[in-house]
Amino acid sequence: MRICCGLTGHLELAKRADLYGRPVVVGRWDDHVIAASEEALPFGVSSGMPLRQAEHLCPQATFLAPDPEAATRLRELISSALYDLAPVVEVKVEGIAWIDVSGVVRPGDSIREARRRLRTAIGREPRLGVAPGPFSARVAATRARPGRVVQVEDARAFLAPLPMHELALDAEQLERLDLLGLRTLGAVAAIGPRELESQLGREGRHAVLLARGAEPDELTPWRPPQFSSAHRQFEPPVEDREALLFVSRALCGDLADELGVRGAGAKRVRVRFVYESGQPDERSSIVRHPLSSALELFGLIGGWIKEWQPRAPITELWIELPVLEAAGRRQLRLWAGNDGTSEEVAAAFERLQERHGDGVVRKPRPAFLSSPLPAQRFDWVSS
Amino acid sequence: MQATQLEHAISTIRVRFGSQALTRAGELPPPQPWPSCTPLDRLSGIEGLPRGRLTLLTGSGTSGKLTLALSLLAAATHEFANAVVIDARGDFDPWSLSHFDPELSSLTVVRLDSEPSGEAATALARAGAGFILLMGEIPEPWLGPLEASANRSGTVLVGVVDAPGRALAHASSLSLGFSRIDWVWDRGELVGLRTITRCLKNRVAPPLGESELEIRYPLGQQLPFSTPVIEVLLEKAEVECVSAVV
Repeated sequence: MRICCGLTGHLELAKRADLYGRPVVVGRWDDHVIAASEEALPFGVSSGMPLRQAEHLCPQATFLAPDPEAATRLRELISSALYDLAPVVEVKVEGIAWIDVSGVVRPGDSIREARRRLRTAIGREPRLGVAPGPFSARVAATRARPGRVVQVEDARAFLAPLPMHELALDAEQLERLDLLGLRTLGAVAAIGPRELESQLGREGRHAVLLARGAEPDELTPWRPPQFSSAHRQFEPPVEDREALLFVSRALCGDLADELGVRGAGAKRVRVRFVYESGQPDERSSIVRHPLSSALELFGLIGGWIKEWQPRAPITELWIELPVLEAAGRRQLRLWAGNDGTSEEVAAAFERLQERHGDGVVRKPRPAFLSSPLPAQRFDWVSS
Repeated sequence: MQATQLEHAISTIRVRFGSQALTRAGELPPPQPWPSCTPLDRLSGIEGLPRGRLTLLTGSGTSGKLTLALSLLAAATHEFANAVVIDARGDFDPWSLSHFDPELSSLTVVRLDSEPSGEAATALARAGAGFILLMGEIPEPWLGPLEASANRSGTVLVGVVDAPGRALAHASSLSLGFSRIDWVWDRGELVGLRTITRCLKNRVAPPLGESELEIRYPLGQQLPFSTPVIEVLLEKAEVECVSAVV
């Protein structure tokens, strides 16, 4: 396994790029410090300490209120930016981005591109580390200069001389390790997991495995939202069908590009027209196979637009793909002959109901079988 | 000389477009059969109804074709996840099916007019529904897409019509005609009929002749017939084949 880790600093700090190079502390008043910039660390400020104490230690710092929603949005942005470099990506708001580059054809290119995208998103150079696991990669990244990468081949050998403070243990547990004389990761790795477990509990066992480079933690892969849409506003409003077709073709191209990056296909397609009068009009359909190319999308949507009778000039056109699924399913068609699935048949039933009403597709359920009246013998349930 | 050029052309096509692009008729694989466990399996010549093809059961009223189709449908509900009835006439009654012990959870009835029923059948065949029973004619423009869709997904298509139109007859690969020869009475009560089933058209195997069937009507849940369709007599009568393309 090869994991690349990029350290960017806490994402709460990224919203004020103009303060880069100065001490900045993020936290709510009467609460603890959530993030502190590198420039504040020499004053003794660290995450988790009371904000009043941080103010006492570093009064010249800029104090910011946290905005967790903005940090989460930024995390999603970074995740989606890194997602097409490698399929397994995890980003934390603490400013840690992991990419699993094992199996990637050109890992060097992916790492280089990850650095560029992180720099674009955060506004400063990330520190990079490449190692056999997430823990060793993060530790390697902390030892890299901004914009540089530290590569680790043997995680145990790399970790052995480092202080035991690299382990994510609380102060009491670190003190106990110190009392036991285990001051380096190499010393922690040398004792058995059971022995340290008896001292520190489960965290002790976990710490030994980390120190040995066994990498017990796995990445939690980020998955893109299963929804996509594109829209265009018209000023002045449009009535010409050819213009709508032209715009919808362009939107289909944009959506197809996005689907291609995600490796997804649209299982449901919805088109919405917003009229000048304000009342929108829409049409949607479930498709049999996930659509992923511009030609497929436009083949469906263009057909709808050609037969559409707009009530008034159109001010907005929306193309929404509310249900996405892996486009890889399409490949089954290449070699499967009798490949009908219940899901596809159910989708065919739904399309019939959309076009002709719910009552056309029904299932009989026994009701009052001994009734002399035929209508009472079965209930008809919409499929 | 011409034979050499022809072989050269054939090999060129195969090299350019793949080995399956050009196949001799004799090398085409036969359709896969769906064993229905009725005497019709023998008449089709492939030990079952052909998958991906249209089988027609035709004949005048009270000749037993619908009873036989219902028994096929009941068997299909046990074998396929989706057995569908395209009820263009709107007179399908699940009560008549219940005596054949169907699995109702896999049965769906699509009730549409004749015109959109072709679209529905094509969409379901394309989606891979295992068995489709067509009760009535399908509009001519939909017969081609229906056949192609079923062929691709392997759907068993069975149509029940009194007298098929020319287009429907042409689209079918197996056509079986029913004609009643006698009623079956038991203690003064009508319990069934005897019918002759002829293979009128067979594009899936060399056409076989005819068979005499005794079809018992279901008489209610108190009197279930375990074998409602019985082959009582097998005569190697002269083959009456309207169209046989092998």
